[in-house]
Amino acid sequence: MANRSEDRRLWLLLGLLAALSLSMFLIPAFVIRPFRHQSESALALAIAVKRIAPALSLAALAGMLALGLRLWRSSSRVLRTGIVVALVLAAASAVMVRQNYFEWLFHPITAAGFVSADDARLSDKEMVMAVRIGTEARAYPIVQMAYHHILNDTVAGVPIAVTY
Amino acid sequence: MWKRTARGRELHFYLAGINNQNFLMRDRETGSWWQQVTGRAIAGELAGSALELMPNDELTFALWKSETPQGHGLVLAPVSGHEKDYDKKWEEEVAKYPVPLTFPGQGLKDRDVILGVEIGGQARAFPLAKVRGESPVEDKIGGVPVALVTGPDGESVRVFRSQLNGLDIELYRDAQNDGKSNGQSDGQRPEWRLVDSQGNTWNFAGCATSGPAADQCLEKINFLKDYWFDWKNYNPRTTVYSH
Repeated sequence: MANRSEDRRLWLLLGLLAALSLSMFLIPAFVIRPFRHQSESALALAIAVKRIAPALSLAALAGMLALGLRLWRSSSRVLRTGIVVALVLAAASAVMVRQNYFEWLFHPITAAGFVSADDARLSDKEMVMAVRIGTEARAYPIVQMAYHHILNDTVAGVPIAVTY
Repeated sequence: MWKRTARGRELHFYLAGINNQNFLMRDRETGSWWQQVTGRAIAGELAGSALELMPNDELTFALWKSETPQGHGLVLAPVSGHEKDYDKKWEEEVAKYPVPLTFPGQGLKDRDVILGVEIGGQARAFPLAKVRGESPVEDKIGGVPVALVTGPDGESVRVFRSQLNGLDIELYRDAQNDGKSNGQSDGQRPEWRLVDSQGNTWNFAGCATSGPAADQCLEKINFLKDYWFDWKNYNPRTTVYSH
């Protein structure tokens, strides 16, 4: 009997850790949706979760693994399936909190290439973001920046972030 | 566009999320979170820091070429493999989506494109369509006289402090060419110019090309081309130009 109620507590803990692990991924993913309103408090929560998610999701997974092993022997087939499913979800969550899926949508520029004005295949009417420092001038076509959004560049020795 | 240094440290930014249609970025060095439109860190080690604005222009390629001495300009090349991701109709595509915030009551629609100018804590939005139609648009923001000028290509816009040696000046379209392009697409035409009441002529770089002020240049004022809802969100007390 004592064993049973102990088991029940362990199952409850396993369930809570699984929920915690999933929420590490789901809360920020839900709050930071494109074309939706983000309130200041929701955004602050999403960012706070994202900051602790890498460590916490791993800790949760480790805890769940220990609980799963402990409960495995006394569990029926159905319950063992439950343990496996919970572990797989927690592992998936631990992987996802390490992914920057915004960069799946909009690939970053890892190595920027530049051409001279004469070699650029741009029509005269295309809009560019232009910057000049000293005698060095740069043009960043807006159609490219509207996709990549960020470029870390250095012009005349000045490190700049081109953002659009 | 920002200088990517904060507290004496060089930073490298990457895209990290979105906040009311304006993107969030993080820096690789500290993992702090930054709002793109304000250049301010909102969370993380650098929270509270602000990036310094890097003055820049939005110009047509033709105009940029005409202002850039041969051999001194470089153009960002398309990233190979992403050519088909560059959607020339992205503005129309974005316009189909709902806005996350709405600010009725000042006569503008949420996705109207405005030019936002902020001087001495006073913010004003100038509807882009109006600036294109009425250029040069003369106004005063926080006591500072400004002129919003559409360039010879009919697209590019610059904002100048319309003051010379401490005295206000007023810029006009040149009656001879109406201050507008004649529809040719050859970018900067030599005859495009603005005039003032003191006998100066001015080019689109804001420099006097003839007259008593020849070779002097007006101070350029930075502005933000933005959707009305985004500008209003970050400048809640903004007024709207309406003359």
